[in-house]
Formats: sequence, C-alpha cells, structure tokens
Amino acid sequence: MAFISSGYNPSKPMEGRISDIGPRHFSEFLPPVIAKNFGKWEYHEILEPGVLCHTAESGDKAYTVRCGSARLVSVSYVRELCDIADKFCGGHLRFTTRNNVEFILDDKQAALDLKAYLNSQKFEGGSYKFPVGGTGAGVTNIVHTQGWVHCHTPATDASGTVKVTMDAVFDQFQDMKLPAPVRISMACCLNMCGAVHCSDIAILGVHRKPPLIDHEYLDNLCEIPLAVAACPTGAVRPTKVELEGKTYKTVAIKEERCMFCGNCYTMCPSLPLSDGEGDGIAIMVGGKISNRITKPSFSKVVVPFVPNEPPRWPTMTKVIKKILEVYAEEANKYERLGDWANRIGWERFFEKCELEFSAHLIDDFRDPAYYTWRQTTQFKW
Amino acid sequence: MAVVEFQGSSFEVDEDGFLQKFEDWTPLWVDFVKESEGIKEISEDHQKVIDFLQDYYKKNGIAPMVRILSKVTGFKLKQIYELFPSGPGKGACKMAGLPKPTGCV
Repeated sequence: MAFISSGYNPSKPMEGRISDIGPRHFSEFLPPVIAKNFGKWEYHEILEPGVLCHTAESGDKAYTVRCGSARLVSVSYVRELCDIADKFCGGHLRFTTRNNVEFILDDKQAALDLKAYLNSQKFEGGSYKFPVGGTGAGVTNIVHTQGWVHCHTPATDASGTVKVTMDAVFDQFQDMKLPAPVRISMACCLNMCGAVHCSDIAILGVHRKPPLIDHEYLDNLCEIPLAVAACPTGAVRPTKVELEGKTYKTVAIKEERCMFCGNCYTMCPSLPLSDGEGDGIAIMVGGKISNRITKPSFSKVVVPFVPNEPPRWPTMTKVIKKILEVYAEEANKYERLGDWANRIGWERFFEKCELEFSAHLIDDFRDPAYYTWRQTTQFKW
Repeated sequence: MAVVEFQGSSFEVDEDGFLQKFEDWTPLWVDFVKESEGIKEISEDHQKVIDFLQDYYKKNGIAPMVRILSKVTGFKLKQIYELFPSGPGKGACKMAGLPKPTGCV
C-alpha cells in the first residue's frame, strides 16, 4: 500500500509531539449502572455459569455476562464484540484480568438473552466465538504468552497449547462443578511471563540442550560480561578462541553446569538454544495467589518433560486432563489443587494422578533446595 | 546483513540500524545516523555522551547503566532524552557504535 501520513513530520520529529498523557481514565468508559453505584455494592451472586448479578445499596442490579476469548484476536473480532456491546449494553464492555470479555447489563432477561446469543455465535471451523462461562469453581481462561507467534526465546507455542488445553477442559469452563476454581496458565519459556509460577496447573516451555555458540559474531553482537552474569549456575565464562587464524573474544559454556534456562540467549543473540526435539513442556501444579484459608504458594514441577507435539499436544492435554479429573473427584469443597496435594501428601498425589516421579523433580538449586527435601519420618508407603 | 553507504564509506548494519561491528565505527557514522535519530546538529554535549559510552565499552565490555551515564557525564536522564530523543539505548548507544541493547526491552 502506498504511504499515508498521519500528519507526523519526520524532519521535525519533536514538533507537535504529545507524550506522558497516560491511559484514559477508566471512569470515561463505565456503564451507567456501574458509574451510579460505584463503591456502593452490597452483595453479588452467580446466577448460572458465566452470569453474575451485583446488587447495590440503591437496589440497582448489574448483570454481568462473561465469555471466553482467545486473547490473540483480530480487529474484526473486536469490532464484533463492539457490535454486541452496541446492541445489548449501550456500547460498554470490559476485559477481565484473565482476558475474558464481560458485558454488563441492568436487566436479567436481557442478560440471559445475551448469554444465549453469545453461545450461538461460531467461527467457520465450528468453534464458539464467545463461549459463556469462566465463573465460580470451574476452569476459566488460560493466562498465556507469545510463543511462536511473536517471541524469540520460546521453547513451545502459547496459542496452540492453550487452544488444545481449553478444548480438553471446555466442559469445566461452562460449568462450576469443581471443588474450587482451577487456574491454568501457560508460559513459553522460563522467563514465566504471566502466572505459571502461581497457578493451580501450569504449562511451561523448557529446553534440554545447551546453547550453540556463534564465536565469530559473539563479541560484535553481545556485551560479554552481561552474558556471563546472566547465568544462574555460573556455567558461562569469557574466553578467546582461534578460528582460521583469527582470534575472537567469546564465551565458553560448561555444559555439565548448564541447565538450559536460555537467560544467556536473552542477553546475547549469539547463543541460540531452541531445538525441535530437545524442547518441550514441563507441567507444574499447586500454586495460588489468593490468601483464602492458606497462604499464596508457588506451583511445583510434577512432570519434567513432555515433548512438543504440534498442533494438538496430545500427551500434554492427557496429563492435564488426568490431574484435573482426579482433583475434581478427590478434593474437598473449597480446596485448591495445591491445598489438596498438601493435605494428602505429594507421594499420594503422584500415585493418584499416575505420574512418574523422577530425579528431575528433586530440587537441587542452591541452599534452599534442602528445605524441599523431607526431614521427617512422616510419609505414606 | 544490510550494508549502508554514506559519503563513500560503507557500514554493515542490522535491521534496527545498529552497527554490526564496533571497530567499523567512524565519526562519519554519527553523521549518518543522526537524522534517523531526530538530531539536527551534533553538539559538544552529544559528543561528550558518545565519547563516554565508547570509553566505557572499551574498558568494560558493556554499556554503562543509565545512572552511571548520568553520574559521569553530569546529564540527568531528562537532558539525555533532550539530546537523544530515542533515549540512551536506541539513540546514544547506536550512534556510539555499541551493540544493540538486549534483554526484555
């Protein structure tokens, strides 16, 4: 397409430049019923999966219809959301912290009509466009990352793994029959953008091979001390190599000390490590961020590796489904996945979920690893 | 990798316009880059920042942290942005011929 100027003048870049204005204030976008009753809510109830009702001191009621979204969406999808908001909600809508979409109405029948309408909308391939759900003790949307769509350090894909996982647990999205909410999160490398370290079930991209070293270019493209300092295990050290009679400043990596975190590649483009067969997924469980009953906790690794199997990742979805099924059957009401595993003991958790326990799962990272071992005789056979 | 020509010299650059090799840097490079970085004329202050970045990189193998740049040159971050509208990384480091900043930027 031919170039169309927005009015910006490249020869005077600072002229007419607007900066530091921040985001728009949220109050500009509130639906009237929310603006009127702001800070004056009495109680709320979940009418049915995906539909909430908040009652204000004034007696006003706000009905919220929550539907899933793929997070990675096109402008035409957003326009469709806007069309729905125009038609049913006076042009208002909001996104949740897990990237679901919420429509707020002040009439119950209209809200139920909207739910039926949203559930009837489908893409050409047959998937729901706006499946209603994600409330109460179910599985809501998966917080995830960029994957092969946009990032340069991933060990797996985000959108793909999330789609297959949501397909596998879709019933739980549209229902509220679990003991407590189950948060599933996904990160495509162990930078852990998002919430994998604190989710009930977490999908994490991992490498299994050390980086390749591009000696010829390394000193030109990288600040060597940064690559050295990026390593959590001290496996990277500066060195010199001779290639075809020329000496290059570069780094050496002690492979037996490397645990394939990829931090050095983040700092230095000459240390790539992604690998078709080596890369895959680790599954973690038992994290949470709320303070309810028990303190917030980190998720723990329970499956060190499942291979990348695009486009449907069958091994990964099987493991996740199994964990979710056993948890749904065994846990007490209000018990989050981690609370349940802690109560029955992790050896029981592995037994019930039929997961293999391997040496990879035993913490060996610095002094704190010691505290994860069992210093008691209390265990079950 | 792309090669750009400027007043008879050629420079090897990446897609963001950073020099591929620090040794390729010449004062001509600054003249070539300044326009794309929104700088009309290279003042003494500009030169002071560029010189310091190069000295620091030669000595330490890394670009200085922003606070070190400020402390040594005496320019507050605001003044650095006034000199280099794209900032110390994209603007000053690029003009000084340092490698492209990495990490989650």
